[in-house]
Amino acid sequence: MTKRLPVVEIVAVALLILVLSPALWLLLMSFRHNADIMATDIRFNPTLENYVALWTGGFPASFLNSLLASGSSTLVSLLLGVPAAYVMARHRFRGHQQIALWILVTRMAPPIAFTIPFFLAYTWLGLLDTVMGLAVIYVTFNLALVIWTMRGFFAAVPRSLEEAAWIDGCGVWSAFLRITLPLAAPGLAATGILCFILSWNDFFFALILTRTRAMTAPVAIVNFMQYAGWEWGKIAAAGTLVMLPVLLFTFFVRSYLVRGLMAGGVKE
Amino acid sequence: MAASKAAGWSAERNRAFRLGLSPALLVLAVVTLGPAVYLIVTSLTPLTPVNPATALDFSEPLQNYSSALTTDEFLHSVWVQVELSVVTVLTQLAAGLGLALLLDRPSRLLEAVRTSFLMPMVLPPIVVAIIWKVIYTPDISPLHHLLAWFGLPIHSLITNANTAIWAIAVADTWEWFPFTMLMVLAALQMVPKEPQEAARIDGASAVQLFWHVRLPYIRSTLVVAALFRLIDSIKAFPLIYVLTDGGPGGATEVTNYYAFVQTFNFSYWGYGSAIAVLIVLGVLLLSLAVNRMGGEAIDD
Amino acid sequence: MAESARPVRRRQVLASAAAGAALLALPGKAPAQGGAKKLAGVTLNISCWSAPYPKYLADYIPEFEQATGAKVNYETPSFPIYNQRMDIELSTKSDAHDVINVTFIYSGRWIGAGWVTPLTDFLSDPKHTPADWGGDDFLPGATAAFKDSQGRLCAIPWIADVQMAGASRYDLIEKAGMKLPDTFDEMAAMLKAVNRQDNTSAFLVENHYGWSFIPYLQGFGGDVFRKPPNDLMPLLDTPEAVAAADFFCNMLREYGPDGVLSYTYDQVVETLRQARANYSTNNETFLVQMGLPESKSAKTCALSLMPAGPKGRFPNVAAHGWGIPVGSRNKEAAWEFITWAMSKELGLRMFRDHGFSSVTRRSIIDMPEFRQRMMINGTDVAKLYIDTLNLGAKGYTVYRTVPPYPPVDREIDIAIQSIVSQQKTAKQAMAQAQQNALMQLKRAGVKL
Repeated sequence: MTKRLPVVEIVAVALLILVLSPALWLLLMSFRHNADIMATDIRFNPTLENYVALWTGGFPASFLNSLLASGSSTLVSLLLGVPAAYVMARHRFRGHQQIALWILVTRMAPPIAFTIPFFLAYTWLGLLDTVMGLAVIYVTFNLALVIWTMRGFFAAVPRSLEEAAWIDGCGVWSAFLRITLPLAAPGLAATGILCFILSWNDFFFALILTRTRAMTAPVAIVNFMQYAGWEWGKIAAAGTLVMLPVLLFTFFVRSYLVRGLMAGGVKE
Repeated sequence: MAASKAAGWSAERNRAFRLGLSPALLVLAVVTLGPAVYLIVTSLTPLTPVNPATALDFSEPLQNYSSALTTDEFLHSVWVQVELSVVTVLTQLAAGLGLALLLDRPSRLLEAVRTSFLMPMVLPPIVVAIIWKVIYTPDISPLHHLLAWFGLPIHSLITNANTAIWAIAVADTWEWFPFTMLMVLAALQMVPKEPQEAARIDGASAVQLFWHVRLPYIRSTLVVAALFRLIDSIKAFPLIYVLTDGGPGGATEVTNYYAFVQTFNFSYWGYGSAIAVLIVLGVLLLSLAVNRMGGEAIDD
Repeated sequence: MAESARPVRRRQVLASAAAGAALLALPGKAPAQGGAKKLAGVTLNISCWSAPYPKYLADYIPEFEQATGAKVNYETPSFPIYNQRMDIELSTKSDAHDVINVTFIYSGRWIGAGWVTPLTDFLSDPKHTPADWGGDDFLPGATAAFKDSQGRLCAIPWIADVQMAGASRYDLIEKAGMKLPDTFDEMAAMLKAVNRQDNTSAFLVENHYGWSFIPYLQGFGGDVFRKPPNDLMPLLDTPEAVAAADFFCNMLREYGPDGVLSYTYDQVVETLRQARANYSTNNETFLVQMGLPESKSAKTCALSLMPAGPKGRFPNVAAHGWGIPVGSRNKEAAWEFITWAMSKELGLRMFRDHGFSSVTRRSIIDMPEFRQRMMINGTDVAKLYIDTLNLGAKGYTVYRTVPPYPPVDREIDIAIQSIVSQQKTAKQAMAQAQQNALMQLKRAGVKL
């Protein structure tokens, strides 16, 4: 058999490089001196000065805020959503179609429909510019995602296993904890990571609902953008830092993204 | 005895289920229904914080709605939204489909390539916006420099009213094509092998194979993907915020962005709420369509 | 680029820190007995839009922190971003910031709604304001916008922003046998003559057209409102307004650089300093930066008054000031900062170190050193500044401080963009702007 030239592979890799080149360019820019920023030669003297400059500004604090808001909202969403998803998977109760639709709609509604009432409510409650305030609003869209995707994962676990446990006298929730949940654990991990990524990536809510104390990383980057002098090196460095956690996490859950998507949970 | 025991267990089980579901539903209700009601109520007032008395001014409840439906800027924004949505959904479908077909082969390398193609979709949208801001700013853009080097210099795309919306569409497609690609890939996996084998044995070309055998199976997935992307495209914000601010001259001002400016630049809370309600209604109609189609295409 | 100026400024700051420390040992500013710093433990959140002045101020803030023990979080977002975020923030009476910039076009709105603290108590209290601070030294034209309905001053102006005209390559204009234009007709002729010479676009203004277009609007006999502040009937679709828009947009389209619609203040200044664009009708603070040592156009630049239209000369005059939000929890510390930042000493230093010349203190303007230093290539810029201030005192800039002006400002932006990008003709775009402005005014509750 003659060795076929892997045309498809070559084309695929070439396309990949072409498509990803804009992102790679940003990465390159983050290592350029600000004086060279307008130059476009591929070879240049790399420097870490942009990253160092980020450290001394308010950027580390914003990074921490992002972590806190995303982490806490993911936890709460999982705590509330996982049991609910299990019930939706196992229990055909009256109105479950409507509830499923309602959950879908909350995922689909544009952020502005939420921000106006939330902004006004937070002003009154004193939750404006707080990490907790952000976490609460992240729970709104993460909760729906958790219920929607975990329902699919739980549905894939055979009922028979649980029913056997029930016959043995096990309660509904202890059977769930001992049998169903461990079997769906990979899906749980993937869903949790998806929630984290979605909260991490949010821009609109953070833009409107934070000022100085609870500002998250995506909004902090925009602040750089408007600083006079157009410090592109710093912006590129900040952008790279903000995309790193996401890329890392995606790598770990790549195989579950498809399942999550097919179960109807749509990344916004 | 057995019957009552079964009934007792059934009741206990239902109680347990309700217990598991209620906290989530309660939280969802508070954070969605509450704001929804507030949004609707606010949309019936001319609320603006400069004048606190407007918060309870229900004298002309439909003024915001009639104002929106007769304001050229709002109607124009709906048109821009339609333009942008149609173009982005179609190109994302095409790109996603094309790449899925290319990469749908068992190969370790291709598997790695498929995973890498996910990158634009998972990046924070604001980073995507910055990446494309760099590409569209002539002074620092590798694209502009490259084209100039080849002797084909082009003018700034995002300040030209004719090209601004397409520039945004390109950036948006770059960001979201992995979504359709993933869905098509998954659907291709589920196309049964026998018809494909049979067609190949019969000597069908690659194009015929695709058109007559695989396409019918993945068609519903394409529709679902298109609808999901259509609904999501209404939320477009960071790209417009960073690249064009709705300009030039409103050429890229989609409804979502128009609402943002009216509400948060000029504090027309009442008016902004009305526009948000109109957007939600539109999304609701589309969501119903998704649910109908999704229920058929996706087996839970 | 501004970046190359940074090392120089840092050295200057270090050198002047010693002088600064001495200067700060003024009565009322010295550390309290026992060595404890006056504002130890206090964190001040300060925000202003990214004009040259606040950027220069950033260099001196470490001295303030040193002397008072306060920690200062200082941010300077761009003009539209600053206004949008500050408007939301003030509407919630939030405590997120302690010292803010009261933007000219929002001054009527913010002060009128009672969102900015009146400063009269601070000003009259010798404990908070040293006797020799000179609160009445500020230009009346600049403080007028910051008085509330009871005549109380609510912000201290840090700039009297005036519009003038300037060219980065006056040598090219001279070679064409012309001078800096005094009328719009002369301007059109001059731009045509020098366009694209030596790789330079003839004309450039920043994309805040609600500011840069108005002198043309009024110069052609048009106006924004009929008789502000009471009669706010917009006049955006009058024949004069259309003629003005037509003229202005033609200049931008024919003689502006590629992507002219995307040029913000910073980019305009940079482009003028690099002499890649020639003529600009712009703020004095931006134009004088052409004359700074690092600028490529330092030797070839020239300034003049804003050219006049058929109906007169109407350079805009605006003022921005430091104010204290009502929600701030550190009002006294905030006032401490304001008195330091707006002290005559610091104003003088900023003028000497950075050439910041749109000062608001009469005493500095009257100094011979000011006039001397403000000579750029033979032009008496100080005189231009004073003349423009006098013109502005006639009151045609009242339209800017009317509370519902900001949305109208945006409508003007959009209209000019539409015309330059050829989506609409001047007539169509201005008619649209008029219609939209009417709706905006209705939404703001204005009875016409």
